[in-house]
Amino acid sequence: MIRADIVKLYKAIHHWIGISCGFALFIAFYAGALTMFQEPIARWASPPAVGVAAVPLDDAPRLLELVAAAHPEAREEGITLHLRGHENEPARVTWKEDVPHQAGQPHEHVHWWATLKPDGTLLAKQEEPSELAEFINRIHMRVGIPLPWGSYFMGVISLLYGVALIAGVIVLLPSLTKDFLALRVGHNLKRMWLDAHNVVGITALPFHLVIAVTATAWGFGGPLWSAQESVIFGGKQKIVMKRDFFEHYAAPRPTGEAGVMMPPAQLLLRLNDQVPDFEPKVMVFKNFGDKAAAVKFVGAERGYVGDTSFGGVILSAVTGKLIKDNIASRQDPDRRASTVFYALHTGEYGGITIRWAYFFLGFSGAWLFYSGNLLWIETRRKRARKGGEVEQSRSTRLLGSGTVGVCLGCVAGLSLTIVAAKWLHGRIADLNHWHEIIYYAVFFASIAWAFACGAARSAVHLLWLCTVATIAIPLTTLAALLFPALGMWAYGSAATIGVDVVAFIGALCFAWMAIATARRIKHGPADSIWSIRKAGPATPPHKPAAVPAE
Amino acid sequence: MAGDIRPDWWGKASAGAILGFGLALSLVGLYAYLGPGGIDAPTGRYSLMRHLEAFVWIAVFGFCFLFRSGRAAWAWLGAANLIAFAALFACRFYFFA
Repeated sequence: MIRADIVKLYKAIHHWIGISCGFALFIAFYAGALTMFQEPIARWASPPAVGVAAVPLDDAPRLLELVAAAHPEAREEGITLHLRGHENEPARVTWKEDVPHQAGQPHEHVHWWATLKPDGTLLAKQEEPSELAEFINRIHMRVGIPLPWGSYFMGVISLLYGVALIAGVIVLLPSLTKDFLALRVGHNLKRMWLDAHNVVGITALPFHLVIAVTATAWGFGGPLWSAQESVIFGGKQKIVMKRDFFEHYAAPRPTGEAGVMMPPAQLLLRLNDQVPDFEPKVMVFKNFGDKAAAVKFVGAERGYVGDTSFGGVILSAVTGKLIKDNIASRQDPDRRASTVFYALHTGEYGGITIRWAYFFLGFSGAWLFYSGNLLWIETRRKRARKGGEVEQSRSTRLLGSGTVGVCLGCVAGLSLTIVAAKWLHGRIADLNHWHEIIYYAVFFASIAWAFACGAARSAVHLLWLCTVATIAIPLTTLAALLFPALGMWAYGSAATIGVDVVAFIGALCFAWMAIATARRIKHGPADSIWSIRKAGPATPPHKPAAVPAE
Repeated sequence: MAGDIRPDWWGKASAGAILGFGLALSLVGLYAYLGPGGIDAPTGRYSLMRHLEAFVWIAVFGFCFLFRSGRAAWAWLGAANLIAFAALFACRFYFFA
């Protein structure tokens, strides 16, 4: 039995970490849920490359030769041959080129794609791909704060989040058998919210623990690496890491002698002979045309946790012989464990089922922080009310406004910046930069609106904004279909249609929340921050209306 | 642990944050030396270690509020740090130098 004073102590810890970290965690979880479908979003947002006919795999050798001849610098960087024909792959062949940069500065790249013209000559073009999906991932990882401070910030948040998980479990343990899975729907609205908060938190606990540990490790990734090097390894870590890299990842160095390349179709057969369970997505040719040329297959080894991230197989591009690999089934135990941690965070196991599960777990996490904040506010209200209804304290109102503005601002901002991928394409110069501008503009405007109007009113406004911004995603695709003159595009693949369908359902959910909130602010207890009515001694204490607060 | 538990927020939280990190680093460091293959093992251990450190750090930080006071937290965790770091540096500079 856990003593009452320990429970009280940990309750305070759970509350204060929730209040101080809830905003950042909401953003990380909501954006993180979206990153489960990063690839479909990238496919949805990628414009069709103009004048690109699909190059059959049998014509790929000629295309690769032409690229290697016309763009020799691409040979070292690696020429990528795409095998799946997804919409975010502009052509059969793409590569990156280094932009001249000062020593010590991070590398910048420009992107190229290439295809064959009908007469068999090369058509190559420099074009920057949509970075929308990466932008959503950046919001997920660092809530929009630049490197490295965003990383450190999320490291602190994740560490405290782990502590809050421990605290929450300790608080719940004594009454677990009584409270667990007891969702008491009824007049006591706060009780119902607390029950729901507990059920969602406890059932998803393994997920949350993994997320907290891995996010702490990555947030403090740089400092932890340095600390390991100086305190534990004493300079040896760099050497171990380099050796690991050369043994598993690095392509052989070019010899300078010319070699005859094996055609990609044949290389795929050789891969299948030597590593039968590997499903390649792309082939990356290093040092094309050289005797020591290699091809790296990036793809998945099904049946393993972390089946896609580290599954690289390198064959000789001349003989097709296996040179090295880092596939799951042949990793050393430490690397395997590290990959498992990684993949348990990113949901890379079990295919699409787990992706959907993580998508909903991400939303449920975001909801935990939102509901946690509201619970805290409502508890404070109950405590402050002794008999009659009272005005809410300033801090409670500010917290309510902040919760509404930050959470809904993030939701609306992400939806609108996704929509912008189609509307703004070709109309402005630097679309990837505009994705950021739009997100931050909506995000900060929503926060300002929430503070200006108060939590109750602004919640309704902002939920409608979320609804409109999200329904605009499928409507944009519809507009592209109906009015080709707009210059937008609509794809027929299941993945991209899935983006529209999910956005449509999401918009319906936001609309329902907006209606429920509107009802609550009119008829709910007047001393709640969720009310637009004035609280005063004249108003008799109400039973809370039996509608969820949002 | 008998007797009352004092909140001592700052005392305990600082012990959990600072000494929890120290304990994480030193214990995981011991694994790096004493685990299979030792410190020179040609494995992806350096990558796994960050996750293990985060795990220990969170666990110590999370449970350190069970100490009776901030002073007790600093004393116990400080002693644990001393022992763990002594063992780590013994490995690094003496046994596997």
